[in-house]
Amino acid sequence: MRAEYLNPFLAATQDVFKQMLGMGIEKKKIELRENFVEGQDANVLISVMGALQGAVVYCFPQSTALAIVKSMAGMEFTEIDTLVASALGEIGNIISGNALSRLEAASYRCDIAPPQIIIGGNKSISMAAAKYIHVPVATQVGDMAINLMLREKN
Amino acid sequence: MMWKEMYRIGVDKVDAQHQELFQRVEDFLLAIKGAGPWEEKLVKVKDTMAFMQDYVVEHFRDEEEYQRAIGYPGYDRHCRTHEEFKAEVNKCAEKFAANGYTEDLAQEFAGKLMTWLIYHVAMDDQKIGQYVRQGGQQA
Repeated sequence: MRAEYLNPFLAATQDVFKQMLGMGIEKKKIELRENFVEGQDANVLISVMGALQGAVVYCFPQSTALAIVKSMAGMEFTEIDTLVASALGEIGNIISGNALSRLEAASYRCDIAPPQIIIGGNKSISMAAAKYIHVPVATQVGDMAINLMLREKN
Repeated sequence: MMWKEMYRIGVDKVDAQHQELFQRVEDFLLAIKGAGPWEEKLVKVKDTMAFMQDYVVEHFRDEEEYQRAIGYPGYDRHCRTHEEFKAEVNKCAEKFAANGYTEDLAQEFAGKLMTWLIYHVAMDDQKIGQYVRQGGQQA
């Protein structure tokens, strides 16, 4: 898994947060991790296929998830219900679609599957690969994480 | 409120239509989240679905007309995203038709609709505003 695949996802996350939510983000220390992704309260898994294959998982603690949707809707949410989950899934979809345009500009033509939303903390999510990149991200409304596993198609 | 001043693109007619769309989606969210039996909320759900299918088409047509008038270079790509948006709304309408207007489906639709609308206005349409501000042709 090459680090250059990560930058399009970070740049896309930054753009989406800035333009849609009016918020800055800051990436923290990147780690190379193994085995399963430790899920948080709300997780959006998006499979990637094409020139690069793998998946990206966006993980949100409840407080961040609710604050993001509150910022979009302009109203309070008290639990991760279907509406909140659906909105987070689309945010993940938009970030990933945006990242794919950037990868295509670097000659990696890929496609994404519809988002799968996994709700409930302490769930392990399989990345179907030994190693993946884990990026903790601080947003203005709390922490989240991006987990990325991509490899070139053989 | 759902509308933010940062979503303004600086073209009065387009901004006014966007604000109308935001208001409709906000009312829809409030209706779904509000107290009361689901049967009462159903009216608003069906009403919003019909509004989105009609008004979104009208708004996109106006926006596309405006883009043609100013010679916007991203016109073709932008039309494609409009088609995608309409297709997604229609997909939701089909789901409602097949499964009935359940609360779960309505919440799913509301979450998607809100996010698509913000994306469309905050990311895609901003590029039109930028083009005009940077001296693109005037309508």
